[in-house]
Amino acid sequence: MTRRASTEPFDTNPLSGALPLSRRRLLELAAAGSAAGLLPLGGTNEAKAFAYEPYPKDDELETVVTSCAHNCGSRHMLVAHKKGDVIVRLSTDDGRYQKDGFFGKDTEEEPQVRACLRGRSYRARLYSAERLLYPMMRVGPRGEGKFKRVSWDEALTFVANKMVELKTKYGPQAILDQSYAGASYGVLHKSDQIEGLLARFLGMFGCRTSSWSVPSYQATTFSSRMTFGTIEDGNEDDAFAHSKLIIMWGWNPAYTFHGGNTFYYMRMAKQRGCKFVLVDPQYTDSAAAYDAWWIPIKPNTDAAMMAAMAHVIFSENLHNQDFINRFVLGMDQGTMPDWAKGKENFKDYILGTYDKTPKTPEWAEPICGVKADDIRKLARMYAGTKPAALKASWAPGRNAYGEQYNRMAAALQSMTGNIGVLGGCAEGVGKAFHSEAVAYPYDQYANVWYASIKSDRWAHCVLNYPNVKREEVGLWPRQDNLDGVIPNIKGIFWQGSDWFNQLTNINKEIEAIKKLELVVCMDSTITPSGIWADVLLPIATHFERHDVALPWYKGHYYIHRPKVIQPLGESKSDFQVFTELAYRLGFGPAFNPKANRDYFHIDDNVDEAYLREWWEGRVMGNAAHPVTMGWEEFKKRGIYKFHLHEPHVAFKDQIEKGIPFQTASGRIEIFSTQLAQITDWTKTQYGYEIPYIPKWIEPWESLNSPKTAQFPFHLISPHPRWRTHSIFNNIPWLRETFEQEVTLNAADAAKLGVKTGDVVELYNDRGRVVVPVYATERCMPGVAVLHEGAWMDLDKNGVDRAGNPDFLTLDEPSPAGAFAYNTVLCAIRKTTLEHKPGWDQLATSRSHVFRRDL
Amino acid sequence: MANEKDKAAIKEAVKRKKREHYVPVVPDTQLGFIHNNVDCIGCRACEIACKDKNGLPPGPRFRRVQYVEGGTYPEVFAYKINMSCNHCAEPACLPTCPTGAIFKRKKDGIVDIDSTLCIGCRRCEAACPFGAPQYNAETNTVVKCNMCVDEIDAGRKPYCVMACMMRVLDIGPIDQLRAGTYETKARGANDEVVRQVRNMADPELTNPSIVFVPHSKGKVG
Ligand code: SF4
Ligand code: SF4
Ligand code: SF4
Repeated sequence: MTRRASTEPFDTNPLSGALPLSRRRLLELAAAGSAAGLLPLGGTNEAKAFAYEPYPKDDELETVVTSCAHNCGSRHMLVAHKKGDVIVRLSTDDGRYQKDGFFGKDTEEEPQVRACLRGRSYRARLYSAERLLYPMMRVGPRGEGKFKRVSWDEALTFVANKMVELKTKYGPQAILDQSYAGASYGVLHKSDQIEGLLARFLGMFGCRTSSWSVPSYQATTFSSRMTFGTIEDGNEDDAFAHSKLIIMWGWNPAYTFHGGNTFYYMRMAKQRGCKFVLVDPQYTDSAAAYDAWWIPIKPNTDAAMMAAMAHVIFSENLHNQDFINRFVLGMDQGTMPDWAKGKENFKDYILGTYDKTPKTPEWAEPICGVKADDIRKLARMYAGTKPAALKASWAPGRNAYGEQYNRMAAALQSMTGNIGVLGGCAEGVGKAFHSEAVAYPYDQYANVWYASIKSDRWAHCVLNYPNVKREEVGLWPRQDNLDGVIPNIKGIFWQGSDWFNQLTNINKEIEAIKKLELVVCMDSTITPSGIWADVLLPIATHFERHDVALPWYKGHYYIHRPKVIQPLGESKSDFQVFTELAYRLGFGPAFNPKANRDYFHIDDNVDEAYLREWWEGRVMGNAAHPVTMGWEEFKKRGIYKFHLHEPHVAFKDQIEKGIPFQTASGRIEIFSTQLAQITDWTKTQYGYEIPYIPKWIEPWESLNSPKTAQFPFHLISPHPRWRTHSIFNNIPWLRETFEQEVTLNAADAAKLGVKTGDVVELYNDRGRVVVPVYATERCMPGVAVLHEGAWMDLDKNGVDRAGNPDFLTLDEPSPAGAFAYNTVLCAIRKTTLEHKPGWDQLATSRSHVFRRDL
Repeated sequence: MANEKDKAAIKEAVKRKKREHYVPVVPDTQLGFIHNNVDCIGCRACEIACKDKNGLPPGPRFRRVQYVEGGTYPEVFAYKINMSCNHCAEPACLPTCPTGAIFKRKKDGIVDIDSTLCIGCRRCEAACPFGAPQYNAETNTVVKCNMCVDEIDAGRKPYCVMACMMRVLDIGPIDQLRAGTYETKARGANDEVVRQVRNMADPELTNPSIVFVPHSKGKVG
């Protein structure tokens, strides 16, 4: 077939994109001179086609494959186009880089891993005005934000001396590890609560209090561990393409981009006839894109609605009894363990056998604000459609008793037999394909701690020490004489973490931080937390050091991250900083066995050695999914994509081959063997009782509580799309696309006398924040939505001008450790107080200019 | 850079322009965009990819994902209309330019602005019915989407298209896009395409090279 000239630019021939300057293109360039729209008068020069000139084209620049590296629940490819040591622009996966790839390759098995808007803005972050380039030390009072530049030697000498002093004076629990997955999520340079470099560094030093609860998803972590015995309860993202019904329960993949291509596979599902339902206080962009049936629900009442669905399914006999009999523990009388036969089982609870309250749709309706008929309809739909994915997302778990919601979801998933089947769903946490994740020495020193507390109880612990009960802070039990010893926290380390801005009840944190003697912040950016630090250590970004990236959540690939450019300013990698500190504290060689002290200045060979060893040993030697591509080829290509023969589905082996679940009973434990046997809850990390079967428990505040007389709005603070938690808040490109604003139902806004764009104050007993309003029909009345992560910016009266919801949240975690981020009542009033969208003077977002009502 | 302009060249261009009368270029093949209003999640990855590629400051946006919503709680709907420059068959912007900086390529119908000739008078901005020309205050020029001519010439597709996380934005020969014969992931098997959606300027004004997969509430006529 002869190809028509017009289709040539879209040739999928692998070479057309790869050849930088083909003969054809030379001809085209020559021809372009005569392409002006005016009648050519002869002698016209070639038109300059770009927004700025001279404009370097991609093929004139050096191409380096790398990835994004922040804590977003995903991981995508970035391709740096650089000139000298400067990144000129970024592109993403276009199918060319993988093995057997070509421009445009984008199959269902090996889709392109295209970066989201945040990833695409990385250049602005890398070169931002808030970039931290030199070590700095505080000169004024803590939090005032005055620093002076110091040498690395001065900063590290100060930190090392202080560490020794704190350990000597206050014991092995004096330093709090608040490392998190902020910006350093790689296999070598890793910040993380458990697997991070800081955990190992402080553990080896012998002074560490760990923070055990995960802000995003502790409820579901608990639920999945109790119910399935593992948090690897997820299917890979491609499995979603095979569902017939997807219930997005509080899930908004259009915002969170959970997994490499989850949102895209869901589009495929839609094209194949899948139906979608959204249970959420907001009609989200996910609902719009997947054309979902929207069921608005009062925040914090999800477990009640699920209980009512279970009631419908049981009473109409729609459950899969065969599945229950074979795989589930404690769903009904017949599946209770012998030793607990007389106890209440899940069906008893649902039918009200003991408490005389059948959990009918009519019972749930006033609690949830969802019509009984809609509950019934959804229950029938879920039980009657096979396979169906009830995706119980994390947000409804970030609540008082959030774990009950996740456990209740697991009950629905198992009573309908949607576990272990393609197109079903057991999530939950949702971690799926297991990648090899740690390339630095992860040995007997890893994650050593001397106390471990619920992460958002640190301020409470500091402010009330020593009059603190172990259950108040969720002290993790130990087998030695430190068991039950309340930590006397005197210092904090932040590595890749902006927790001061991100944990609950910031005003309480501000009181607590004043009592500390050492606050160290290691970051590439001056963050709101950094403002409160004593020492700021500039950390090289992932463009400036060598690493390998993993999908955070779903997806099956590795992306190479070479040192794309040299570290900016005096930044060093976190591994370099810890190694140098370890030398100063006397355990350098043990901390970083492949390095000597030069590592602080030259890290290339050591990092290469760790990564090569890891790749050749663990990745290529992985028993389940061995990789044959060698390290050198991987480095050359930049990406390795696994080609799976069928989508990975959690618990498939358990269901198909009868392998026991990793629980005590080997079954799906709707009745938790472990919880049923606990007698003294204060001696557990939970501190307070958790029922052994899922139950609806009234939260401490909600739209159903009397407190609404004073504080009529239920505030929820979901993940924003235009930043990852607080990361990227300083990027003007992103701030102009979406705005920090409080979403209110239009009728509520009218009652308050405000319209979109008006500035309001949100307040409760804990704090005050100022933001503009977005009034819409897409939000349930009584609900206020304010996205987490805005960079706090206090005025002289302690009012947050940025609109950070965590001035209003309560530092009272759920028994299982879930942060109660979404259990908040507040009041709203129109205000003349100033709202400041960012630390700079940038014009406000133009997002509302592009939003129209019909 | 654009602020160090070659004044002589601009004068020359103005003189040349005055002698002209405009006859729209008829391209060999007119390229155009397709956007699926329904399946687009409104993530704006396309916008940021474009801003990064074109080195734009906050303010000008070549590509603009517009949010449309309506209905009354709880019966609501929402969709997105994504537009950059439509590289119109009869561009309204082009003849207004006093220096002749705006041109239309014969090969593929791309309408572009020569930034070295733009004097920032903003007439094209006023003339375009679709809001495509964007004023860059930093350089005092008007800039707009050039359909990533460099990528097209290199045999690839524009940055925004290659950025789309949902694969709902694409380019192709506009005739084939309109006829539904061009193979693209932007259109589902049963999707129809339209030239105009609600709230959009009349396509008869300039004959824009764009089609949409419309939302049921976004259909006109
Ligand atoms: S959309 Fe506007 S700027 Fe683009 S070609 Fe048409 S008239 Fe000109
Ligand atoms: S085609 Fe290129 S210039 Fe036009 S909107 Fe897309 S990325 Fe921007
Ligand atoms: S990248 Fe695609 S899905 Fe996202 S806003 Fe642009 S067109 Fe829509």
